[in-house]
Amino acid sequence: MIISMTDQPSSSKTEDSEVVLSVEGVSKKFCRDLKRSLFYGVQDIASDLLGIREKSDKIRKKEFWALDNVSFELRRGEALGLVGKNGSGKSTLLRIIAGLIKPDLGTVKVKGRVAPLIALGAGFNPILTGRENIYANMSILGLTKQEIDDRFDEVVEFAEIGDAIDSPVQTYSSGMAARLGFATAIHTEPDILLIDEVLSVGDIKFRGKCTRKLADLRTKGTSFLIVSHNSSTISYVCQNAVYLCQGELVTQGRVNDVLEKYEEDLFLNKHNIESSVLKIPKKSKSHSHGLDIKYVCFKDEQGIIIESPKVGEYAALCVGCSAWKNFSSIALFVNIRDLSREGESILKVSNYFDRNFISVTDEEIEIQFQMTPCHFRQGIYEATLVINTVPPPGRIDEVESFKFQVKDRNQISGIGVNTNMFYQPRQWQVLKSISFN
Amino acid sequence: MGAIKRLRSRKIVDRQTDWVVYTPKSRMKQPALLLKELWRDLLASRELAWQLLVRDINAKYRQSLLGVVWAFIPPIITAAGFTLAKGNGVINIGNTDLPYPAYVMFSMTLWQTFVEALNGPIQAVTSAKSMLARINFPREAIILSKLGEVFFNFGIKLILIFLLFLWFKMPVTGSVIIAPVALIHLVLLGTFLGLMLAPMGALYKDISMGVTLVTGFWLFLTPVVYPVPSEGMFGAIVRLNPVTPLLVTTRELATTGVISDPVGFWIASGMSVVGLIVAWIIYRVAMPYVVERISS
Repeated sequence: MIISMTDQPSSSKTEDSEVVLSVEGVSKKFCRDLKRSLFYGVQDIASDLLGIREKSDKIRKKEFWALDNVSFELRRGEALGLVGKNGSGKSTLLRIIAGLIKPDLGTVKVKGRVAPLIALGAGFNPILTGRENIYANMSILGLTKQEIDDRFDEVVEFAEIGDAIDSPVQTYSSGMAARLGFATAIHTEPDILLIDEVLSVGDIKFRGKCTRKLADLRTKGTSFLIVSHNSSTISYVCQNAVYLCQGELVTQGRVNDVLEKYEEDLFLNKHNIESSVLKIPKKSKSHSHGLDIKYVCFKDEQGIIIESPKVGEYAALCVGCSAWKNFSSIALFVNIRDLSREGESILKVSNYFDRNFISVTDEEIEIQFQMTPCHFRQGIYEATLVINTVPPPGRIDEVESFKFQVKDRNQISGIGVNTNMFYQPRQWQVLKSISFN
Repeated sequence: MGAIKRLRSRKIVDRQTDWVVYTPKSRMKQPALLLKELWRDLLASRELAWQLLVRDINAKYRQSLLGVVWAFIPPIITAAGFTLAKGNGVINIGNTDLPYPAYVMFSMTLWQTFVEALNGPIQAVTSAKSMLARINFPREAIILSKLGEVFFNFGIKLILIFLLFLWFKMPVTGSVIIAPVALIHLVLLGTFLGLMLAPMGALYKDISMGVTLVTGFWLFLTPVVYPVPSEGMFGAIVRLNPVTPLLVTTRELATTGVISDPVGFWIASGMSVVGLIVAWIIYRVAMPYVVERISS
């Protein structure tokens, strides 16, 4: 989903403010074998009771480090993103911070009330009415009866439940239940909010409302720790991010730098990008239709192969072909998807759409799709290339996937938070003393 | 309104002054801190326990047609069965100082309360699993809430006992006023045992299955359907059973007012109180590890 937060406090301001959460060298073991895991649990309880559980830095059989020496800090009013693939230890880290489980090594220090948004509607009893569940749920989250009384009307109004508040929760639609869960959690007014992949609650209108509420909380000094494997969510909300991979902290810092690294690891195979030219093995004549794509790469204005296009600079997507038949007219179709945005298709171009046909005789050719300049924003993209005879369809050859990265070293597409969808070349000018006729 | 706002914001500031620290260090090595936390969380969990109690009782009776009647049925059925068996000479049970059906019904009610107290903590942890795995609230709250439920259920059963006393025209002495003290000790014993087993019960299903089996057998080692045996091997076992003095004393205080085994009562009571505190510490230490293992 898309979250945009206005009122971003400037990063210089957050660097001065006090630390509310400090994670120092935290490690946690994990075991995937259930029987063994239960037994280790009993073992841990026994050794803790006897007070001999000081050194737990050794891995027992079938255990591995779900978190390995992770350290970072969260300041008041800061939104910190926690990115990583599934199973990288993000949720385990959140559970340690919430105080649900103990770290095996290291220390976690927390200041103030922590509200886990991992726990939407936890403790909701379907038999009971919305009203009763609000009271039960908010007291589980640590509020006194008086505090709940004060906020009750706000919660009901925010959740848009209306008269259904006195009906059992099991009669609610899933959206209503989710809204009620979100509303109760958010109205506990925590100092630190742990958000785990739950921002996709309800319809678009309600999500907008949630986003505004979160932004509102942040200006009041609530700190956020947002977990997601979807980098666009993180990039819209956070200034800083931490990237975890297999329990280890790979990098942390400004959100754009961290996400760039994360997306590189996620979408590009390291050994693949080194050559920066996608070479296609030669096909036998029985599998060929008369023209084969030999390579795909990017070139600059001088015709030199470049590793990746840069925002605002010239780049040509070059498709090298070798033909052994004659074609009066062929068309190259390029479909580009943005992998940072869940592979959403963002551009479909073809010389066919542009009425610019290519005729081929028996020869080696290179078809160039020249971007003058490249308007993509920083990110990772995937292109599908198809060569057809004209008029289509009449498929000659195709490349399923050509992944590339667009870099933005000068940050011209947007300084700071990466909310721009594309690069707009621009000039600024001020005209004075104009008269409107 | 302004005053409330100010009050609230001041509270937030207060809350933020102290750090909460999570380390791998064993709490057993910091006994002072451990005791401080026990006390703090017990106080902090009262209100939550109340909310949970209200929630659970509401939910329980809203989905039931017979409702509170279910509290009466088991003692009545048991009493009917045994009275029938005894009257026809199927089983040979010595004479009781109370009319036999009343004896069985009253004792059965007490026994049930004990079993509920025993099962309470195990059920509490099992049914709150998902909550425990996601929210850090004082772990004492679910136990207190179950305790509340035990007393609530006993309160309902009190109606049956009251009718029983009227029907059989049983004598009541002034000692009935202190009968609740003995009853509380009986409940403490059950809670002690249940709390001890609760962390393991959350990890292994064997515990709850075993408890069902054991309590079924235990009933026959407790003078519920028969009077306290005075001699023999069986008599010794029954007297060693810690439930015996607590249950018998409660019954005696409520009826005759003559306590047959005061020493046994105080030993069992002392054991329950000390045991409960130990079980509580174990429960607290164990819960983070249990949470770690019961959810992914």
